[in-house]
This record gives sequence, C-alpha cells and structure tokens, in this order.
Amino acid sequence: MNKRILLINGFKRTKILAASLIKKGYKVTAINNNKEHCKLLSEIDKLSVFHGDGSRPFVLEDANAYNADIAIALSEYDEDNLVICELCKKKFNVRKTVSTITDPKKMDFFHRMGIDSVVCTITTIANIIEQHAFLDEITTSISSGEYENLKTTQISISHNEPCVNKKLRELNLPESSIIGCILRANKAMVPRGEMRILAGDILVLITLDEHETAAIKELTGR
Amino acid sequence: MKLFGKKNENYTMVIGCGRLGANLANALSDIGESVAIIDKNPDAFRKLASSFGGLTVTGDATEISVLDNADIAKATAVISVTNKDNTNIMVALLAKKMYNIKRVVARLYDPDCECVYDEFGIETICPAVLSAKEIDKFLPEFDLSEKTEIAHTERDAKQKAGQLHTAAGAGVKDGGAYE
Repeated sequence: MNKRILLINGFKRTKILAASLIKKGYKVTAINNNKEHCKLLSEIDKLSVFHGDGSRPFVLEDANAYNADIAIALSEYDEDNLVICELCKKKFNVRKTVSTITDPKKMDFFHRMGIDSVVCTITTIANIIEQHAFLDEITTSISSGEYENLKTTQISISHNEPCVNKKLRELNLPESSIIGCILRANKAMVPRGEMRILAGDILVLITLDEHETAAIKELTGR
Repeated sequence: MKLFGKKNENYTMVIGCGRLGANLANALSDIGESVAIIDKNPDAFRKLASSFGGLTVTGDATEISVLDNADIAKATAVISVTNKDNTNIMVALLAKKMYNIKRVVARLYDPDCECVYDEFGIETICPAVLSAKEIDKFLPEFDLSEKTEIAHTERDAKQKAGQLHTAAGAGVKDGGAYE
C-alpha cells in the first residue's frame, strides 16, 4: 500500500509539497482551516482535502489520520504545530511527525517532546540567502538536520584559486575537514592524497561548522 | 523582586492579560506576592489595577526569549490563561519540560487534546465544565453537569454529520463551526 502523508495547515508550502509528493506516488491528505485555501488545494489532482482546524482531534479523525505514515505540520504558529504533532503521535499513532517552527530556540523543546523531525524554516532560508549573497564559488551548502554543525559544501575551483595544481596532501586543511569527493568532467572521484586539484573541479568539502571558513580560505584564498 | 518589603520566595507568572489573567495578577499583587504578567498586546495591561506592583512583559509568550526576559526560570508557578488553547498547552509544556516549574496551570476551553499534556502533570481548568458544575448547584433537581458532557459530544457528532462535499477536485469536507 502507498504511504499515507498528512499535510496540516499552511497553504503555499502545502501546495508545492502536495504536488511533489503525489508525483512520487504517495497518498496525500491536506487539512486546512481556511475554506478558500481548501478550494484552491482541491484543484490539485488526487489530493484529498479536509476543511477544519488540524489541532482538533475530531478533524484529524475525519481526515482518517489513524496509522498514517507521516504527518507534516506546516502552520505558521509553533503552538499549533506542537499540538498537531503530539495529537498525531499519541492519539492517532502516526509513524513519523515533522514540524516546521519559526522560533529556532524551540528546536530542542520540540525534539524533547518527541517530534521526529523539526525544521526551522526561517533559519534554513536565511542561511541559504546568506550563501547566495556572499559566496559565489559555493554552489550548495547543506547542514544536515540534527547534526547542525556538520557542513557539506560544494566549491567550484576556477583558474586563480591558490589550491589549483596542488596535490591534496599538500593542502593545509584545518582539522575536522576533508574533501569528500572531486567532481571532474561529470565524473565523481573519490580523492586520494596524490590527486591534483585542477581548474574547473568541483570539490565537495565536509567540515565541522567552526572549521568551515578556514577550510574554504585554504582552498579559495577567501 | 520583592514587593512591599515582605520576604517572599514565591514568584508567579501569569500568561495572558485578559479578564482572568488581569484579575489573578491583581489579586496576587494585592496580597504581596511577586507577579509577572505577559501579553502580546501592551494595551491589555490597562486591565491591571493602578496598584499593581508586578512586572509587565510585552511579547509572545510562546517565544523562549520572551519567557526568559520575564525570568521564567525563577518562577514557582506558571498560570497560562490566554484565549488560545494551543498557546496555553505549549506554554504549560515549555514551563514544565524546559524549566521544571513545579506548579503549572492552564486554562483550556476545550479539553479535547488531553492526551497531549496529561502525562506531564499540568493542572487544567475548563470553564465550560466548571460553569456546568456551578449551575448544577443552583438547579440540583436536573443533574446538569452530566447532561452538558453529553451535549458536548452531541455537538461533535453533529459537526461530523454536517460535513459538506463539494464538486471541485477530490472534494472538500467541512469540519463545521467550532469555537
């Protein structure tokens, strides 16, 4: 049987998520307490839409939340998301709960309340904006969920970077940082100490947060 | 924070400066207790008596920084009486789980979500249930408090029955109106 996913509250994000999840073959149900939004959501093919406050047990019951695989709370209010996730977990036996939050300080609290995944949308987006604004040579930087201090960064190497034509073992990378992969001419290569960095390479750098700047400086000189 | 020079170890934090919150804060302040009251809207503090000697904090009590500003860690009791049940639940859970406050009281209009907080030792007050009990005292011949419980479940059942199905897409179901 297809996995059942509940999307509770939120409109624009729900719309995008629903479309993408349905495409991947999941059975998606959206619960929203705004009638207009419900009507617009119901235009999405194969999406079941329920109108009601998702933090109320009887609304979740109507939406057949029992034993769903994943519940994603997308409300803009943290308190609603907390109650939604707790209800899904405790009353409706949902296997995995995901909550978005706006106050990053509550991350720890939500984890302690037993919510499986907590996404702080504001800090995530702010981080992405910061990367795009300041670091041209870095294409993506992923900080992975609960291990926030672990960073995976892709760095494009052009002609004038100080590391070009150096062997990997000649680099003076700070501790707790490693080049995990070299992408060259559409091929991924597992790096060895004897390999040379060439212009046009993309390096996948894995570092702890505190050493990230130093590692990037060693590679790009900035 | 000491009031009226009295030696006092208690520090009560009231969340939500509505009629109930303001009254509680006034009463506590009058008997010389240390009180802090938090509300999002600074105008709400007008409900406090001019003699109110506690701390007023403007801000959203669901934000940890606001609770920290009001020194929640030192509180001996937290009373959450905002007009939103979910806010009261979250503030109560925050106080209990993150700050280990001994006495946490939350006012809940609808005790539906009990399973969320019942294992954490939060004391809850439901105005509808209390009112029914009081009215029952005036009308002992009817045994009203039991009947209102039934009325409550009947209302829920009606809401479920009143779901509407629209033609658009996969259909919208209506959970009906509720407070």
